[in-house]
Amino acid sequence: MMQNIIIGQYVPGKSYVHNLDPRAKLLTTFLFVIIVFLANNWISYALLGAFTLSAIGVSRIPIRFIYNGLKPILLIIILTFLLHVFLTKEGPLLFSLGFIEVYQGGVEQGVFISMRLLFLIMITSLLTLTTTPIDITVGLETLLGPFKRFGLPVHEFALMMSIALRFIPTLLEETEKIMKAQAARGAQFSTGPIKERLKSIVPLLVPLFVSAFKRAEDLAMAMEARGYRGGEGRTSIRLLKWDAKDSLLFVLLLLLTTALILLRS
Amino acid sequence: MDITIKDLEHLYSKGTPFERIALKDVDLSIKQGTFLSIIGHTGSGKSTLIQHLNGLLKPTSGSIQIGDFHIKSGEKEKRLKDLRKHVGVVFQYPEHQLFEETIEKDIIFGPMNFGVAEDEAKKRAAHLIDLVGLDQSFLQRSPFDLSGGQMRRVAIAGVLAMKPSILILDEPTAGLDPRGRKEIMELFYRLHNEENLTTILVTHSMEDAARYSDQIVIMEKGTVALQGTPVEVFSDADALTALSLDVPETMQFIHRLETRFGTSLPKSVFTLEETVEAAVSLLRKEERS
Repeated sequence: MMQNIIIGQYVPGKSYVHNLDPRAKLLTTFLFVIIVFLANNWISYALLGAFTLSAIGVSRIPIRFIYNGLKPILLIIILTFLLHVFLTKEGPLLFSLGFIEVYQGGVEQGVFISMRLLFLIMITSLLTLTTTPIDITVGLETLLGPFKRFGLPVHEFALMMSIALRFIPTLLEETEKIMKAQAARGAQFSTGPIKERLKSIVPLLVPLFVSAFKRAEDLAMAMEARGYRGGEGRTSIRLLKWDAKDSLLFVLLLLLTTALILLRS
Repeated sequence: MDITIKDLEHLYSKGTPFERIALKDVDLSIKQGTFLSIIGHTGSGKSTLIQHLNGLLKPTSGSIQIGDFHIKSGEKEKRLKDLRKHVGVVFQYPEHQLFEETIEKDIIFGPMNFGVAEDEAKKRAAHLIDLVGLDQSFLQRSPFDLSGGQMRRVAIAGVLAMKPSILILDEPTAGLDPRGRKEIMELFYRLHNEENLTTILVTHSMEDAARYSDQIVIMEKGTVALQGTPVEVFSDADALTALSLDVPETMQFIHRLETRFGTSLPKSVFTLEETVEAAVSLLRKEERS
């Protein structure tokens, strides 16, 4: 169960995608999310698909990890697809069964929307699979740096995020530990009617909250004891380096965007 | 219930880049009523091993038999809950498992899950709270108002309330002061003898292992490196050193005593009391001559 949660599931590697500057990856992901909406016909979707799949291929991340990231939203994708198939009434009628009528436009729309969702999730999972949480945070902090002038608490935001990311595995471990301890005392988490199941979560949640609060207090104390006073004048141990391979990514992205605009119908 | 472990192997994160062997070729047989200590460095597979004994982890290959329960890789033992009723586990830092509003409710959580009537469960709670060295006034208090040591005792009472016939203790005294440590270990030992329990103790303390065990298993890198009675295991000082483990302090002392006086003492001396006695009688003999 715990293995399905992909956040912070960094898979170490040395591929082109792994070695990219986190800022480049963050920006690309952000821009990709936008240009996905440019596609509106089969060719442009095929192009997006080719880009996504080759990105995954280059990263050498086993396809299983990508699939694991997709699993939680697979249901949503299927649902969206079916809704479009049955409810969009455009183009020629393909077939009708009693009151159910399926139009070609509906099927097309269904496929397009599902692909859009698939590509979005695949690319964003690729970001978290190939970049350590710390790198993502440092990247975000530098990218958002200019907004400090407008009073945006960028450092605090980045700190909050890195702490949150840092403690996801810890909390998962803790959850597993407490689940085991309660299971050993006869608690059952996965069977019974929904009301029982909700009730059975109490023995898990209470200890989890207690330890999370305690951990937060300890962490605050440890940080203060080591002289932490916020981001003022603080430098990062990680220096980000932007070089040719990162610029190459942008060239590719630019090409993709241009192609998408040209292929749009 | 006798425990038989055959060719047990456990891989963590099987089939991912994070795959790691936790246990390999573990064979053990533990007779009903045995006090067994498992010793080993951090990461040697002790905790993984004991989690197999009540079905919290499934072997990736090999099998475990506990009484007439069978745990095999790939097969589902349908009576896991029954098994867990018989196998009580005190995990490391068990105070993290407390969650109820009152201590009494927390202690009866286990037994009630296993179908014990509320009256009977409350009776057990009242009895156990004394046994672990707290008093009746605690029963209606919140477990979160207690000190760490007291919370530990309540959590232990919560496991004992299930009346398990196999008791598994994963470093039950870690982080306690020396007195609390001794009290808790004496409590477990008394229960072990009175109720004819099978006790499996995971520990870093050579002294505890020497003092209480009938059988000692030393784990190293996921396999059993050494096993036998305390006499057998601790007299093999070379093997222990090779595993970078210590001989109990009492035995080190006796060893030095033996070299100093050029005699040899019986090999079965382990506890502090026995060591003192042996040393005193040796000194007396020395005085007389």
